[in-house]
Amino acid sequence: MNGGLGRIFKDFPNRRYIMFGGKGGLGKTTFSAAAAYHLAKQGHRVLVFSVDPQASLSDIFQRDIFGKGAVEIMPNLFAQEIDADQRIKAYQAEIRKKIFDMYGFDKIPDEIESYIQAAAAEPAMEESAIFDEVVDIVVAGQYDYYIYDLVPLGHALYYLSMASVYDEWIERITKLREDMRQYEEMAAQISRDKEVEEDMILKELQYIKHRIGTSSSILTDREKTAFFFVVIPEEMILIDTQKAAQLFAKFNVPLSGYVVNRVIPESLASQDIPEYLRNRLQMQKGYLKKIDELFGTEVLARIPEFERDITGLPMIEKMAEALFGASR
Amino acid sequence: MAKDEKEEKKGFLGGMKAKFKDYVYGMAAHEMTRQALKTRGSMEHLFILITMGDLLGVPILPPYYSLRLLPYVVPQISTWKRRMLREKDLTDALA
Repeated sequence: MNGGLGRIFKDFPNRRYIMFGGKGGLGKTTFSAAAAYHLAKQGHRVLVFSVDPQASLSDIFQRDIFGKGAVEIMPNLFAQEIDADQRIKAYQAEIRKKIFDMYGFDKIPDEIESYIQAAAAEPAMEESAIFDEVVDIVVAGQYDYYIYDLVPLGHALYYLSMASVYDEWIERITKLREDMRQYEEMAAQISRDKEVEEDMILKELQYIKHRIGTSSSILTDREKTAFFFVVIPEEMILIDTQKAAQLFAKFNVPLSGYVVNRVIPESLASQDIPEYLRNRLQMQKGYLKKIDELFGTEVLARIPEFERDITGLPMIEKMAEALFGASR
Repeated sequence: MAKDEKEEKKGFLGGMKAKFKDYVYGMAAHEMTRQALKTRGSMEHLFILITMGDLLGVPILPPYYSLRLLPYVVPQISTWKRRMLREKDLTDALA
């Protein structure tokens, strides 16, 4: 039952964007780190990065990597936690510089400055900034595998829907801008003027459109993307996961399979164990059966509850073996 | 160029005719140009409203990318804001 994830990677070698989704605290970061470890050991250049403002890659690798770009954890394995605040500040500075360059002000007009500051305080700003940085990371194309350490389900959906909302928004205003351009050209033609000058805004819009297009095409590309759901054998989780799977399907996210985490080893049942644990085992048995009924062959691996936290490379290695089978 | 020489031979009267043609064209074209620019102008307002709506307190998603467009609309913003808040009808602004 273990090691089923390796099969997916072998059968679909073009799936280079790997995502683990699921509710909070089920082990997404752990699996992301383990998958990165396994792929790096096989000689692939791997980047595991977090799109969560409350990222925990630093904790699992036991190194502070927040806002430091891609940090090399071991040969071929790089990890990155995006500092959204830092990104927003740099972005604001870039906008101000552009205004200075274009108009030669010695000070940004108050109205404009307050807009720049207010925009940065928008609730969606942090996610948007991370979203934008992810596009940078992916477009640069410096790695063989990109592993997204996703935010918990609700946020992940938000993140995915953001791509489609952006897509639509940009589509419409680009269209409006193009219509404007037509009128301008018409006026110029009738009054026999020369060429109208280049529309910088339209150019900018097309740039944004391209970036969003890149990002959303990856998220929904069956050939290049593998999305795994993490579940644990408990009722609430199963109900939520089914709902989420439907929503993800709506956004055309290609689902590659399910990983069951936190399975108490069944071998314990034959030992002398307290009633409490025996009940847990009994309950778990029921849900494991249900999981098999619900997801069938899409269940790729059952990962046992480990005797201690998964932090540091030796434990990550153990986890990778459970996910992919021994790597030799 | 042969055509030009011919026109020159026509002399004063021909010149007048050409000028008259330009004049008529100009009258018609001026109106059309004005219309086209008017339409474009109202679209410009709509465009800024959609991208920079936050300036008026109309939150319009998503702010991250609209910030990219801000530098290009800096000159329009103060007049645009005044108009948007004052006018009852967008067409008033176009007159």
